[in-house]
Amino acid sequence: MTEDLVAALAAIGIMVLPLAEVVLRRFFNTGVPGAAPFTSHLTLVVGLIGASIAAREGKLLALATGTMVPEGRPRHLAGILAAFVAALVTTILALGGVRLLQVHYAAGKEIALGVPTWAADLTFPIAFGLIALRLVWKSSPSMIGRALAALGIVAGAWMSTHPELLLDQSGWPWIAILVGAAILGMPIYALIGGAAVILFLVQGDSPANAIIGSYDQLTSTDLPAIPLFTLAGFLLAEGRASDRLLRLFRAFFGWAPGGTAVVTTILCAFFTLLTGGSGVTILALGGLLMPALIADGYSERFSLGLLTAAGSLGLLFPPSLPLILYGIVAEVPIGDLFIGGFLPGTLMLGALAALGVREGLVNGSARRPFTLHEAIGATWSAKWELLLPVVIVVSLLAGATTVQSAALAALFTLVVQRFIHRDLATFGDLRRAMSRSIALVGGILVILAVAVGLTTYLIDAQVPARLAEWAKENIHSKWVFLLGLNAFLIVVGGMMDIFSAIIVVVPLIVPIAMHFQVHPIHLGIIFIANSELGYLTPPVGENLFVASYRFNKPILELARAMLPMYVILLIGVLLITYLPWLTTGLLK
Amino acid sequence: MLATIRYQLAIALTIAASVSVGAQAPVNIRLATLAPDNSPWTSALRSMGTSWEKATDRRVRLTVYAGTIPSESSAIARMAVDGLQAATLMVAGLAEIDEAFNVFGIPFFFESDAELAYVEQKLTPLIQERLRAKHYHLVNWGNAGWIQLFSKKPIRTLEDVKQAKLYTTEGNPKMVQWYTANGFHAVPLSAGEIPKQLTLPTGAINAAPMPPVYAVALQIFKDAPNMLDVRVAPLVGATVMTDAAWNKISPEDRAKLAAAAMAMEQQINALAPELDAKSVAAMKTAGLQIVTLDTKAVAEFRAAAEGLGASQRGAMIPADAFDLAVRERGAFRKANPAK
Repeated sequence: MTEDLVAALAAIGIMVLPLAEVVLRRFFNTGVPGAAPFTSHLTLVVGLIGASIAAREGKLLALATGTMVPEGRPRHLAGILAAFVAALVTTILALGGVRLLQVHYAAGKEIALGVPTWAADLTFPIAFGLIALRLVWKSSPSMIGRALAALGIVAGAWMSTHPELLLDQSGWPWIAILVGAAILGMPIYALIGGAAVILFLVQGDSPANAIIGSYDQLTSTDLPAIPLFTLAGFLLAEGRASDRLLRLFRAFFGWAPGGTAVVTTILCAFFTLLTGGSGVTILALGGLLMPALIADGYSERFSLGLLTAAGSLGLLFPPSLPLILYGIVAEVPIGDLFIGGFLPGTLMLGALAALGVREGLVNGSARRPFTLHEAIGATWSAKWELLLPVVIVVSLLAGATTVQSAALAALFTLVVQRFIHRDLATFGDLRRAMSRSIALVGGILVILAVAVGLTTYLIDAQVPARLAEWAKENIHSKWVFLLGLNAFLIVVGGMMDIFSAIIVVVPLIVPIAMHFQVHPIHLGIIFIANSELGYLTPPVGENLFVASYRFNKPILELARAMLPMYVILLIGVLLITYLPWLTTGLLK
Repeated sequence: MLATIRYQLAIALTIAASVSVGAQAPVNIRLATLAPDNSPWTSALRSMGTSWEKATDRRVRLTVYAGTIPSESSAIARMAVDGLQAATLMVAGLAEIDEAFNVFGIPFFFESDAELAYVEQKLTPLIQERLRAKHYHLVNWGNAGWIQLFSKKPIRTLEDVKQAKLYTTEGNPKMVQWYTANGFHAVPLSAGEIPKQLTLPTGAINAAPMPPVYAVALQIFKDAPNMLDVRVAPLVGATVMTDAAWNKISPEDRAKLAAAAMAMEQQINALAPELDAKSVAAMKTAGLQIVTLDTKAVAEFRAAAEGLGASQRGAMIPADAFDLAVRERGAFRKANPAK
């Protein structure tokens, strides 16, 4: 399909351009003219076309609550209603994209080498237009249902061309409608993007203001690292890397009490640090690790809880995507976040592994004797996977930027999986893996894009400044602030996905944290550590949702199974918050 | 039915508009700048806003958004859709609106504050006219000191500059191409990469032009402990307002706004040399070496740099603006010969 091809070519561009730039610059002093701006704009294309592919595949992220609507007529009606509101919002976003295109066209803005910026801007109306049409099409099996949902497109176009309709009205009824539609299953991007455009409209501003924020976000310098690392993680997950790594970790840790549980936590952390905790870990490893745990004598309940909770580990280790995004949004060095996150990440990993050891001891779970032969064999078999973190760290230390290092990681994984292991036996396999990866990236990036629109509004309304003023007047202790922050972030983590939480919430808390002299890197690590819990907190806690889908268990059962892990991770989060040296120690 | 609603709406809007004209509704100006909150520039903008409100009996109100926009390009796009009405921008952003501002970014073109102020003043009518064609109004200038060259090894000649792996912003491919075409080893990077790349032994750069105040804040001098005592370029900024907003303000009020803006310009321009000097002194105490060239070396340096500047004429700077700048700089130097 054309859009898959366009997105795949753009993804290859993101991979090749930064590497070509660094090689040609270092060895021939030529570089690739405009490599960075072209890479940024190709990321915009990958993100938005990826979102439209996600819409086609029905993979746009939505609240778990949509699946709780009773099947039959209620769910049918809920689907139509949610699609109506989503189509309305998406049409406003598409027309906002047209306005952005006009602005860049009038200014004669270029990406580089005479290529006009409006060429990339075209992706906004095309992708959002396709998404709106697909949401309408998928809303109902009947043409009447689809026609009703399609009225959302008409309403969106009407509101865009008659902005005075909403001027000076209260935004709250609209926000209530958006939240209601999201509960019924409307994609999260439409909830956040809808809030942004409605709030701009009621204060008399064009929704294009939100899209300008989206454009800035999607073309920001370090953002290409997110699709690149996701692609690397996804290509690993698609192949048999998980088998090889399981064998490796078992060879080294299988002798210990709770060995398989420990291996599970390490393996999950390893996958999550590459995939950003986007649910890929549970999807990729669940099928492999669940039977392994059960076979080694762990109870089903413990195994479910461990796999659900361990899916969020790894967010504090490099090159975790949330750490990268935090660095971009809070404007702090990403390298410092990587270093600062190491001890806290190890603490969280150790805490969960300790729980596994305890379970192993109590249940007398199976253990495997350590043999040098198997250790060497397993290491040799997993040598390429083990080289991946080495490639990333060495390239960063040699002076590569985050994006260049991510590009190298993606290319390395692609070559290993396609040509060395041949896990992706044909180019067809590779193409399908890339398409799925791009849909996943698109699902995330479209949320990031619209979340910036909402942040732009909040800044316009001076919300961060007012919040900071309020905190200065009413909170008098750094420790009270941190406790409040913990509670706030856990609630936020339970209601928003991690990426939009970073974009919307970080600008709100940074000024307050500065007032209380919280170290900026410590704040970042507190934020991400709390988000690890957020992944497990109902109702949106993504791991609950994904694990429920993967293991075919009700969310409530998973939540119960995961409770001991939740408590131990909560203790970890509190330690990370109140012992700043855990973060800042290595930085010094 | 629909027509009736539209008709009623039109009447309501007409009444609302006439009421607002009658009551002289205040003009709210939302201004964004990349300058951080609590910086001298932001304080000066806020106090200018207070002066505007007082002078116009709150008919003009200014809200300053400091350090909250992701880029100057973003502020310009938001002015185009009336999300912002004004912005305080540096040369890179200003040149996106009109390339005449690139005059102030030519490496080694200006020598002193006095020379800069003279040429700036002479260029103002031309720039104002060019801005008008693009629906903007120049509110005031503001110079934030000078960009200096910090390097790992001492730089003593233009050839040394050409040999250095030189940081340049990755947002301006034209500038990168210009550097490469003129034999420089410019490496486009995001500004956030500068400290890391200077720290690493195999870093992508070994020299970075930046204002001393940033060099102190980023502790650049620890890894690049040499500063060339020839100024690279002034850090010129300006506040621009959209014509749509400017034209809503009565001519009497505009004069009041201009007076307060001029006061701010003078305040900022007086502050900059002091800030530069303080920053350099602090870095010297911490071990920064100032690489001073003798008069002959400076003359050679400048003569070679002169040709480089000319290569931007037409390609990166409109010929009329470039020629006027060269002419007026010559006039200043003739009237104020170097001692």
